[in-house]
Amino acid sequence: MEIATLLPLLLGLAWLIPLASFVAILFFGTRMGPHGKSAANVATAAIASSLVLSVVALGVWLGHHPPSAASHGDHGDGHAARSDSMVRLTAFRADSSAPPAAASGHDEAEHHEDHQDEDHHDSGAHGDAHPHEGEHAAVAPVAYAGDWYTLYSGGALRLTIGWYIDSITVLMFVVVTLIATCIHVYAAGYMHDELHPVTDAEVQLTSGGPFSREGRFHRFFQALSLFCFSMLGIVIAGNLAMVFVFWELVGICSWFLIGFYFERHSASTAANKAFIVNRVGDFGMLIGLMALWGGLGTLHFGSSVDPATGDPQPGLFELVRPTAHGYQQEVPDGLVAFAAAADVAGLASGQSDQQAVRREVAAAVPGWREAGYGRWLLFIAGVGIFCGCVGKSAQVPLFVWLPDAMEGPTPVSALVHSATMVAAGVYLVGRFYPVLTPDVLLVIAYVGGITLFIAATIAVTANDIKRVLAYSTVSQLGYMMLALGVGGWVAGLFHLVTHAFFKSLLFLCSGSVIHACHTNDMRKMGGLLKVMPYTAWTMLIGCLAIIGAGVPFVIGLSGYYSKDAILAQALLYARLNPAHGILYLAVAGGAFITAFYMFRLWFMTFAGSPRDHHIAEHAHESPRVMTMPLVVLAVFAVIAGWGLPSGFGVAGLLEQSRPAGTATTVSTDVILGAISLPAEHDSHAEDIHVTATLTAFATAAAGVLLAALMYLRPLVSPAVVARLAGPAYTFLVNRWYVDELYHILFVMPTLRLARLISGIDRRLIDGLINGIAWAARQIAGIDAWFDRTVVDGLVNAAGRVTWNTGIEMRRLQTGRLRQYVMFIVVGTVAIFVLATLLFRTSLAG
Amino acid sequence: MNAAVVENAAFWPLTLIVFLPAVVAAFLSLPLVPKAREEVVRWITLGTTAVVFLLSLWLAVPQLFGPVGPGQFVLGNPDMQGVVKLPWIEAFGIEYLLGVDGISLPLVVLTTFLSMLAAAASWPISKHVKAYHVLFLLLESGMLGVFVSLDFFLFYVFWEVMLLPMYFLIGIWGGPRREYAAIKFFLYTLLGSVLMLIAILMLYFTSDVGLLSDEQLIATHVVSPATAVDEIAAIRAADGAVHTFNLMALAAIGQLPNSPFAATTVWLDTSLETWAFLLLLIGFVIKVPVVPVHTWLPDAHVEAPTPISMILAGILLKLGGYGILRICYPICPGAGLSLAWLVCGVGVVSMVYGAFAALAQTDFKRMVAYSSVSHMGYVMLGLGVWSAVDGQEYRWDFWAQGVNGAMFQMLAHGISSAGMFFMVGVLYDRVHHRNLQEFGGIFGKMPVYSGLAIAVFFAGLGLPGLCGFIGEVLVTLSSWNYSRVLAVISAFTVILTAAYILWAIQRVYLGAEYRGPHEEALTPITPRELSIATPLVFLAIVFGVAPQTLFQYVTPTVNQQVETLADWTRDVHDGTRKLLVAAEHAPADSLRPAARLHDLAEREGAR
Repeated sequence: MEIATLLPLLLGLAWLIPLASFVAILFFGTRMGPHGKSAANVATAAIASSLVLSVVALGVWLGHHPPSAASHGDHGDGHAARSDSMVRLTAFRADSSAPPAAASGHDEAEHHEDHQDEDHHDSGAHGDAHPHEGEHAAVAPVAYAGDWYTLYSGGALRLTIGWYIDSITVLMFVVVTLIATCIHVYAAGYMHDELHPVTDAEVQLTSGGPFSREGRFHRFFQALSLFCFSMLGIVIAGNLAMVFVFWELVGICSWFLIGFYFERHSASTAANKAFIVNRVGDFGMLIGLMALWGGLGTLHFGSSVDPATGDPQPGLFELVRPTAHGYQQEVPDGLVAFAAAADVAGLASGQSDQQAVRREVAAAVPGWREAGYGRWLLFIAGVGIFCGCVGKSAQVPLFVWLPDAMEGPTPVSALVHSATMVAAGVYLVGRFYPVLTPDVLLVIAYVGGITLFIAATIAVTANDIKRVLAYSTVSQLGYMMLALGVGGWVAGLFHLVTHAFFKSLLFLCSGSVIHACHTNDMRKMGGLLKVMPYTAWTMLIGCLAIIGAGVPFVIGLSGYYSKDAILAQALLYARLNPAHGILYLAVAGGAFITAFYMFRLWFMTFAGSPRDHHIAEHAHESPRVMTMPLVVLAVFAVIAGWGLPSGFGVAGLLEQSRPAGTATTVSTDVILGAISLPAEHDSHAEDIHVTATLTAFATAAAGVLLAALMYLRPLVSPAVVARLAGPAYTFLVNRWYVDELYHILFVMPTLRLARLISGIDRRLIDGLINGIAWAARQIAGIDAWFDRTVVDGLVNAAGRVTWNTGIEMRRLQTGRLRQYVMFIVVGTVAIFVLATLLFRTSLAG
Repeated sequence: MNAAVVENAAFWPLTLIVFLPAVVAAFLSLPLVPKAREEVVRWITLGTTAVVFLLSLWLAVPQLFGPVGPGQFVLGNPDMQGVVKLPWIEAFGIEYLLGVDGISLPLVVLTTFLSMLAAAASWPISKHVKAYHVLFLLLESGMLGVFVSLDFFLFYVFWEVMLLPMYFLIGIWGGPRREYAAIKFFLYTLLGSVLMLIAILMLYFTSDVGLLSDEQLIATHVVSPATAVDEIAAIRAADGAVHTFNLMALAAIGQLPNSPFAATTVWLDTSLETWAFLLLLIGFVIKVPVVPVHTWLPDAHVEAPTPISMILAGILLKLGGYGILRICYPICPGAGLSLAWLVCGVGVVSMVYGAFAALAQTDFKRMVAYSSVSHMGYVMLGLGVWSAVDGQEYRWDFWAQGVNGAMFQMLAHGISSAGMFFMVGVLYDRVHHRNLQEFGGIFGKMPVYSGLAIAVFFAGLGLPGLCGFIGEVLVTLSSWNYSRVLAVISAFTVILTAAYILWAIQRVYLGAEYRGPHEEALTPITPRELSIATPLVFLAIVFGVAPQTLFQYVTPTVNQQVETLADWTRDVHDGTRKLLVAAEHAPADSLRPAARLHDLAEREGAR
């Protein structure tokens, strides 16, 4: 079978199997074994099948597109890789006399870009990016795109459900299904309590008694299956509309899972908070979608063919980075014309020939683009889409929902709120990268930088083991965003993959600890190393991975590679853009804080002697069904960053799908001042690379050392530090007062406005209506009085009837009004009849 | 008469769909059926609505009943189908003119479907059972009549027929403040119908079918294909104008370059077209309803019994949107274009205002009622975005998207709002209160019901995969090309919608314990209730996952209308070809050879 049909088939199946599992458990969950116990098997089998299919898809991919050292920016031999790629590209250049040819069957297209005139350099007048290097070639990555079915089509507009598959799609499928499989297995053990009636100690009944309910084992796996389906839907999505569809669906799955213990008020509140805060991000995303849709009429990533007309329809990537212009970013014609609507109207006025208008507009577009039309639209589109990512990936200012989301069961925290769903925002930035301008990327970098710093500082003072990990997740997502923002496309997505492994590992370990101790509070733990060796050692691996531990320049855990890549790219960016040097400081400082709070967590939990003997005595290692996934994930947390010199590895795989036109340094001076977006390969340069690696090592070591001094061998008392820090400590303990601030700034005014509007309805509008009714009643009363006195005096017999009517009117019996109304209708019809008879000829004449 | 019936292949299907409920109502009101036999009355009503639903399915989905026969709907044909044309009041050219197209047919099926469910939901009604069901069936006839009428006078008659049963159904079978709510509903709607009547008369007396070409006269069914030659000759020979109530003909006249509606100035130096548009618009937006003429809705809903709320939200509100789409825009395109800002503006205001108001409610049903105001705002916005074709290129795609989205939103809201009201009713039947502060823990007590209810509320929330999403996203995306500001505000509404719906779900269904009275009455959902809720949830999913099931009906007709009006904007409104077209147009009509007419007539007859 052709790879172009095989991959969508494999991944499509992998995507739909969890949906089938969801439907099966929805209808037959209670009948699946005793208390629905087999629901876990159904869901696990489903996600495991998806994993197998994803791995097969990865094999198919690698078989057809073996990673080459040339396109692979591995850590150690960056320079070699770069020169290799130059050689390869030069070879293309040599036989470039042939016109650019797209490979048949799919979107594979390789050719080089035209020489860019150095004169345009940094002129800033174009609204586009220009390459620093005058002469180089660009290669479009391989991707397969197509549509399964249409949601809506009308005219040239189409909204579809389809696929866009490149190496990151395949990679993400493997990562998501692998982690999800581990977590399904783990959850079968962790959620064991739900097989029996549960007494929820955290629920306070007004009667004061204990709260008991039926177990909900199968419901958990039902929601988990739906989540996997939704998440994979985002990954495979072929257009932004489909991303948005599954974006919302993962949001609602998250709502179900956070609110799993919905009897707890805190859980249902956290679930609502998560969804509503995410909707704030989606509001921005909708604006981004509208900006693109309104101007371009498509939301497809890749190019496609209109099934109705057979016309080719360029996708967003092609529109923003046209093949003909060497994949260099430019404002697409549609957005230029949209922004220049007034000028278009000027051209169109007095013209009856549509074709002529279109030709004139097409001719005028380059000039308008030169004049800067549409830049802002592209900026708004990028920032808008990023807003959605801010919500989903819990970035500042919308990060507040994620720590609360820890109300959900721990396997959910591991899968949904650390490894996959929250990574969807980063994934979308990576997917959408070709359309993001350097200005948007700068915004992304700053948001990421601020987030990673704020979240890391809060994590330092948190005592709830899951909340530490939650803030750590927020912080690490900030790292990824920053990496993408400073041009580290591979670095950001690489960290996404490695983080998925070690963070899910860390969460599952924390779940194992909570399972054993029945508390989240680290101040009651300590000395668990002896009782829970599997958990302790695997968690240590996770901690080492997240701080990027390794032997500099030799080997390290997965985080070592991805974090170094981020550091190097941030350093390079800071060198090229000294104004934004603070981004590098955020990264380096964040690395130090990360190392500190992670080891604070580990030391407080596992090292030393037990703080609470009652808990320590009852603690026990978790069953094998829970520790096995820990070991598997620990292995991946170690090796996920490794790569062979041949380019086989996560980074090499990612490099295959590097967006066309991003392999060079580009400079712009458009909206947010002068920005140079460095080529990622340049960060492998010797001086950058060495500095970054050493910085990473030093900061991490310092962080661990400080944590050891405070919590392992208490030379420095944490309490003393807290007292010395004073207000700063209080500020951090209260999480920068962000929740309180939002409550005052947004929640309360919204509710107040809602009450105001409701009041307007009742008092103003209804008051007016009732007032009119009252006035009508008064007039009716006068009418009645007139009837009584005047008419009665004149005609006695008729008077009695009228008098009765008057009484009735005074009381305003509803029936009477109806009669009036009938009079109006009959009267109008009568007028109409008369008018027709009398004036027919004159009106017609 | 018989010959005419044979010609009108759809006479019986359409007539039965409209009048069967009324006939059964008349039968029920006879003393034949003893008052005490309440079960019999209920079953007869349910059976009637089911038969009518099957009839409408026979019309709309012929594949279910074998090969497509005459009178059944042909997918993909954008024109008016199954036209029934019989003379009624000949002195004024008033006809019994019925027909369905892609805009009205889905609404007809929605009406018959929801009426059937509402009939089943009427089981708990125990007061004056017979009178209730008679009025209920009359109401169904009225609603269906409005959707299939193509004669403006007939339309108006059905509009009024619908009004009275609704008034009684709220006023007699409603809650404690039923009389206030009923009279409020009645006066609001009556104000609208009086204004509409004025507009109808204005348009009637200004219309002249003589202005139409022969082709147009046949296409708009002013003349029957069989007798086209004679009828056209009579029209051409008439001295003076030949007035019409034919909606299709009025639309054709309104879109003429020399439209008499636009040419006539009535008051304040403003054209008759604009006045008629405004009067009709007010009449229709009261039904939609939009802010600020919406306050009848919360009261009516809160007081109305559950099945009547379902009908009210599911169908009656759609009449407004339908009227704007079917009548306002095609007949008064010039006014529609220049007042598009008004339609879009009130739509967006309603969206935001309704959402905020919903957020503040403590009465469950009132909250759902305000959510209707908010959701119907999308319909207005989608219908109004037509100036997307103005200004720059004459691209009608985005406007068509908005109108298609609005149509979808109407149908989806028909499902989701009826479902939401039903779900509220299920609770109210048990505990007899609707105070959001006094619920909680329902999920633990009624898990199946709660699962279905949450699904329906999610459809209202606009969650992808459920019916509410498609319409909202299409309308919102299309609005950007009309106005950036309105688009951003409409996008903002998604936050408020999530807030009020999730908050309500939390307060009612989640939590550990029920905080209100009559806790013992919270028994699991009954089979009867399940059989009403399940189809609604099922359709909410089907329409959300496969919106083409509806779009295949809607899109051809909507696109044709939008394209026609977009061409009209270019050719007539902007005047580039105005004089040219007018010059071509004027003398030709009366000189056509009769042979050509025969051809035309035959072609039309064959169709």
